[in-house]
Amino acid sequence: MDGTLTAAESHRVDSRRFEVEALPWLDDVYRFALSMTRDESDADDVVQETFLRAYRSWHTFEPGSECRKWLFTICRNVFLRLRERERRRVDYGGDDAQLEALASGQEIVGSIGEHADILSHVDLAPALERAIGDLPEVFRSAVVLVDVEGMAYNEAASVLGVPVGTIRSRLFRGRRLLQESLVMFARDAGLPTRAACEV
Amino acid sequence: MFLTETEIVAMDCTDVVRQLWDYLDGELTDESMDAIRGHLAECRQCYPQFDFERTFLEAVAATRREHPAPNMVRRKVLAKLRKAGLEF
Repeated sequence: MDGTLTAAESHRVDSRRFEVEALPWLDDVYRFALSMTRDESDADDVVQETFLRAYRSWHTFEPGSECRKWLFTICRNVFLRLRERERRRVDYGGDDAQLEALASGQEIVGSIGEHADILSHVDLAPALERAIGDLPEVFRSAVVLVDVEGMAYNEAASVLGVPVGTIRSRLFRGRRLLQESLVMFARDAGLPTRAACEV
Repeated sequence: MFLTETEIVAMDCTDVVRQLWDYLDGELTDESMDAIRGHLAECRQCYPQFDFERTFLEAVAATRREHPAPNMVRRKVLAKLRKAGLEF
């Protein structure tokens, strides 16, 4: 015996590694797929295809690197191929999306005024989940990866295959859109805003 | 030409607001993180926005609920992988 694995043994080792390292992320991949497709049946298809592709390209996975990120990248690519492309052009607006988004945040803070603490007193989760689901896909994927899944900008950029600066502007714009949705939710729900208090 | 104290404060606030989300996401250098942390501790103008953005991000993060993959999906994935050669 020279210590070299036979093909069958090597296959069993790879299978075992895949089972231990990749399969535990099935729930995470499903959640990510669902956030993109917003449809359980489509998410089902995306997840199956993701794991099949992951298994077939398991030899390209670098041991020790982050398997979840690798699976999310595949998942995102599967989603992009399966979905009908959103042809609607998204207007990114001005150059300084960062400042613009935050300036808007100031308006929102001003709009909610002294009642900004509604964020901590009202259960916004259902409204926020709806608002996240309604975001255009490019913004939704950035928000989900960074704000919900807790990825760093560079990790999300790697998953989505875009520069970090693009993640940043998509994220900031997505957050601003969410905040605007929250203001509308607060108004529709009759929660007091500064404007209402001044009437 | 020297900036007045008011101008310095205004400039600092603009910089802080510009970098607020990067700060909350921990995406700045240690030096910038410290500078913004110090500013926020002193500035009444910036703090409410910081507080709002922080609470907002916590609310977004809290939407993460465990959505376990339905058993049917799990079974389909495993069946597909077995068919592709995965040994369990």
